[in-house]
Amino acid sequence: MFESSDLAAQAAGPCHAPIRYARSHRAGQRHWLRLTGQRRWLRLTRTAAMLTLTAALAACGGGSSPSAAAGSTLLFADVAPFSGPDAALGPIYLVSCDGTTNAINKAGGILGHKVACTTADTRGEPADAVPAVGNLFATAKNLELVIGCTSDEAASVVPVINQHKTVMFCMTGQSEFDHVMYPYFYRLVPPDLAESYAMTVIAQRLGYHKIALAFGNDIGSQTFVQPAIAAIAKAGLTLVANETLDLNATTFRTEAAKIVAAHPDAIMTEALGSADPTLLAEIKQLNNNKMIPVIGTSAAISPVFYSACAKAVGAADFAANFHADNLVTATSGPAYDAFTGSLLAVKGKVSGAQTGDFTTYFTAPGAVHLYDGMNLAALAMVAAGSTDVAKWKPWIATIGNGVPGAVVVSSFAEGVAALKKGEKIRYIGPGGPTSFDAYHDSPGIFQIDTYSTAGAVVVAGNISAAELRAVSP
Amino acid sequence: MSLLLASVGFGLITSAVLAIAAVAFTLQFAVTDVLNLAFAAVMTAGAFIAYLVNQSGYPVWAGLVAAMAACSLLSVLLNYFVYAPFQRRGSAPITLVIVSLGMALIVEFGTAAIVGGISVSYSMSQGSTVGLGGLVFTTVQLVIMAVSVLVMGFVHVLLRYTRLGKAMRATAANRMLARSCGIRASRVIATTWALTGALCGLAGTVFAIDVGSFDPSSTDIFLILILAAVFLGGPGNAYGAMLGALVIGLATEVSAAYIQPDYKYVVAFVLLLAMLAVRPAGLLGART
Repeated sequence: MFESSDLAAQAAGPCHAPIRYARSHRAGQRHWLRLTGQRRWLRLTRTAAMLTLTAALAACGGGSSPSAAAGSTLLFADVAPFSGPDAALGPIYLVSCDGTTNAINKAGGILGHKVACTTADTRGEPADAVPAVGNLFATAKNLELVIGCTSDEAASVVPVINQHKTVMFCMTGQSEFDHVMYPYFYRLVPPDLAESYAMTVIAQRLGYHKIALAFGNDIGSQTFVQPAIAAIAKAGLTLVANETLDLNATTFRTEAAKIVAAHPDAIMTEALGSADPTLLAEIKQLNNNKMIPVIGTSAAISPVFYSACAKAVGAADFAANFHADNLVTATSGPAYDAFTGSLLAVKGKVSGAQTGDFTTYFTAPGAVHLYDGMNLAALAMVAAGSTDVAKWKPWIATIGNGVPGAVVVSSFAEGVAALKKGEKIRYIGPGGPTSFDAYHDSPGIFQIDTYSTAGAVVVAGNISAAELRAVSP
Repeated sequence: MSLLLASVGFGLITSAVLAIAAVAFTLQFAVTDVLNLAFAAVMTAGAFIAYLVNQSGYPVWAGLVAAMAACSLLSVLLNYFVYAPFQRRGSAPITLVIVSLGMALIVEFGTAAIVGGISVSYSMSQGSTVGLGGLVFTTVQLVIMAVSVLVMGFVHVLLRYTRLGKAMRATAANRMLARSCGIRASRVIATTWALTGALCGLAGTVFAIDVGSFDPSSTDIFLILILAAVFLGGPGNAYGAMLGALVIGLATEVSAAYIQPDYKYVVAFVLLLAMLAVRPAGLLGART
């Protein structure tokens, strides 16, 4: 294949090399080795010193400084996939970030500081996420808050962000965060197993008995599988197929054929990127051009997902056969108006977020809950009168959970006005009331979403806590 | 529909797409001596060029022609500005492999920077479903297989019956001797880049039509299948690439029917390794 190496056997010289030459040659070699060894030792020592210095700088560098300099700009960082299979998530959070910070700045900023957004692309892979976060902390000044950190990378980046003493609002539902204490970690979304239970309730509500599972092989999607299997059994439904989709694969015809052969009433799925649209198209082709009903997770509530699936199977078919669980979010009222107004102010200005119906962002869980998280953090800083995280962090739970006599506010501007009057406040945003537990989790409650043929999200019903408990193993 | 029969059908579709890419790749390698790992990234760029044309209101088949032209030009420029200078300097083959890997990353991430990281689809219908004795295909899949057969026929005629094809074979066999016989090797090489680049654009568009939904990283794993098909059939042998594509395509899909589909690519590579252990030159390569 490659040309053979040009290494030719050296012609053998005279085979009677003088012994004296050999001895001096060996001595020379030993001397050379000593020198080389010394040089090597020096090199190793220098390298070790540099590594130690670099590690020390990395440990000290970045993160939130005690207090930002007067008039400086504070940063909120969107740490999420902007490329790879889950590339749709980063832009959703960025829309929320840009909208929220724009609204905060219009209301006068935080203690005289303007707020801006920055990003760190994790590519949805732990191996890429850690260096991306490391780079963020090394380069970002006045980094006050991290948002995003999805299930793809949370396990690897949460400890790093926590070590840098930076507050984070994360979109991971991984159950490992249910009862592990990271002091700077906050979560406004439920654990994944609760979403699996919600999907099962949807299947029950719609009268489906035979269920097929098709989840991507990424960390974020696989966390749904075992709870879904348990909930399906508890609900008395039948699991007829369980296919794992390799997100690096380009077709899933065999998986689609196995699903069709199992004759399910519905398919529960999460396989973001091009996987789900491809799978659904292939299932439809193999099922005599008929789409099998689909129950998705809240990650499916995005204009990008709708657009890809509508193209794959047809908008009318997709709208008629798709449901997803989603957290209950406001659809009217002052909190909703403030939220949608802030997002609409940045419509068309956020890179990667110009696809599909923009109003889908109004119910996308990442957009809603991270908006609430950012407002909570901003109001906490104002209430504490400081950008020193040690001083404002405790205010997050106080303002989120409320205290007796607190005035309910639904936007940053409203909250700042109340704080200026010396009032205690409780922030309730479009994501609904917050109730942080000891682990800084506030799970929320579920609704059932579907799409119109135009791609707008339609709320088809709510799921009660009792229904969730009934299918919980 | 029996799962085995269905998976054979799926394998034929995969083989059809893979054959176009593998034949182009192996011709490029044979004539130019460059193991061009940027091939799959150029395929993706072609797919997105076709997408942009399609989004402008033209049918995807018009986009396919645009993709072929663009990828042909891109491949010629890649050689002219990147690979040829390294070859003139007498760089080792491994150096060229590393350079091509770097170009693959540049092209892939450059495409992602321009079009974004999200997945897209062509605006086209897959057509009706056709049953053929237990096999199920859509109209578009039948067209893809027909295109693949046409490309194989074209390559066969080119290599066997045209002066250019003979010159390509001569240059691939022994460049110095070909030069001595009056063949303008540099011109043959440039033409090869243009031709195989066009096939690369065709392969990329056809790949994207087949998978339905694609993004800038969609062909990462596909490159590995191309390499497997090329080396299974015998590197530098176009007919070997065709056979290798058929074997790899069928092996991946049929194995997925009986073991966990996650492992379908593993099965393909196990086959490749077994073949290389038994017959290192590949199925149609000359015995060493």
